[in-house]
Amino acid sequence: MSTQRSALYDAEAATGATFRSTHGWEAPAVYSDIAAEYAAITTAAAIHDASYVGRLKAAGEDALDLLNRLSTNQVIDLEPGQGAPTILTTDRGRILDLIGVVNRGEDVLLITSPGAQEQVIEFLDKYTIMEDLEVEDVTPASAMLSVIGPGSGAALQETAGVSLEGLSPYHNVAASIAGEEVRIVCRPMGELASFDVLVSTEAAPAVWESLVSRGIIPAGCDAMEATRVRYAVPAHGSEMGEPYNPLEAGLIGSIDFAKGCYIGQEVIARLDTYQRVQKYLVRLNFSLGARAEPGATLLRDGKPAGTVTSITHLPGAEGPIGMAYVRKTSADPGVTLELESPAQGSAEILDLPQLFGPGEG
Amino acid sequence: MAITMDGVELGVSISEKAAEKIRYFAAKDGIGENVGLRVAVKGGGCSGLTYDLKITDEVLETDKIVEQYGIKVMVDKKSYIYLVGTELEFSDGLNGKGFVFTNPNAKKTCGCGTSFGV
Repeated sequence: MSTQRSALYDAEAATGATFRSTHGWEAPAVYSDIAAEYAAITTAAAIHDASYVGRLKAAGEDALDLLNRLSTNQVIDLEPGQGAPTILTTDRGRILDLIGVVNRGEDVLLITSPGAQEQVIEFLDKYTIMEDLEVEDVTPASAMLSVIGPGSGAALQETAGVSLEGLSPYHNVAASIAGEEVRIVCRPMGELASFDVLVSTEAAPAVWESLVSRGIIPAGCDAMEATRVRYAVPAHGSEMGEPYNPLEAGLIGSIDFAKGCYIGQEVIARLDTYQRVQKYLVRLNFSLGARAEPGATLLRDGKPAGTVTSITHLPGAEGPIGMAYVRKTSADPGVTLELESPAQGSAEILDLPQLFGPGEG
Repeated sequence: MAITMDGVELGVSISEKAAEKIRYFAAKDGIGENVGLRVAVKGGGCSGLTYDLKITDEVLETDKIVEQYGIKVMVDKKSYIYLVGTELEFSDGLNGKGFVFTNPNAKKTCGCGTSFGV
């Protein structure tokens, strides 16, 4: 597959950004200084070219009905302008992907994990029998800019002249930036506010320029990855995928236990009712100088207790931070686990993240 | 293996008791004669696919139709491949399950029996 470039590639290259390959896209890694980019994301407002994140257009009058039958959350009653996270699970209750269902009125947009579009389309196709549903990958044909940080809502409101206050995850509004039509979707990164600006490829440079000229700092993939781990957002391939179920991954807030059947429901309901979840996703603070790669084993009293899934160094921080799946008996904040050789050091469990909250169950 | 009646291959066969119950529900809808039953498969349910029954007289061009016990059983082409050889029975009584499908194409079935995977 040839590498794709976003509509903003030329503008980004002109700033001296360095690029890296991510999910088949050549995306900016660092614009100038990862520490300044990370600081803007976590303390002010930054803008990230997220055009590589998967976007599928689901057209047809049965779109929400079918998605409701196939995934964990209640999405059938989403009105235009509303949205919700939901999880596609296998019949064994394992995660295929977490998707954002965005009702734009004229159609439904599905925001998938980067690179997961084909897998999601295949899954939906497999279960579309008589329904009126056409799913199309619109990722390369459009652009998506994430405005992220505690000041992101205020900065966007000022630029776009629309209210974003109180918007729930994946709820969305039509707006205009630099005279161009956009749609703004609320997609927080854990507890950190973030909004996606969906725009055509033609209009993307003008919208980007307008936002950057207001002092919103461009941030690359490296700063975004550090932020993802800091805010404990599970990623497809490391924390989400078929080895895991949504209850292990802290995604209970995207499950509706009262909505009725969906694929994998029986297994997930049983795991919840009988408290059979065997491991949990945790956020880790590694010891100073600790060295580990994803896949490293965590030990407690010399016995395997978990596996590291992500590790990163935050700009300016001492030891690395990360995420891991840890056995239920050891998955408590404050517990310290040793890294098994060849990894070195130890890690303390900070908390058990729940991306969209603890759910209603 | 397809089930036959008088040499006719049936996509879905219904039992006499099931036919009786279908007529009962059709009568409640004010349909006394020419009862049509659409048997279809939809995505969803715990195991991936789920059965869908509907009393209707709307016939699709792609339907396979077989009349059994006075009921016109219609199965669309797309659902047919999942339903060939299926038997529809009715289980009544206090702990009865209502309409019950026995589908030779189902490799797995969920606990309540309304969903299956192939």
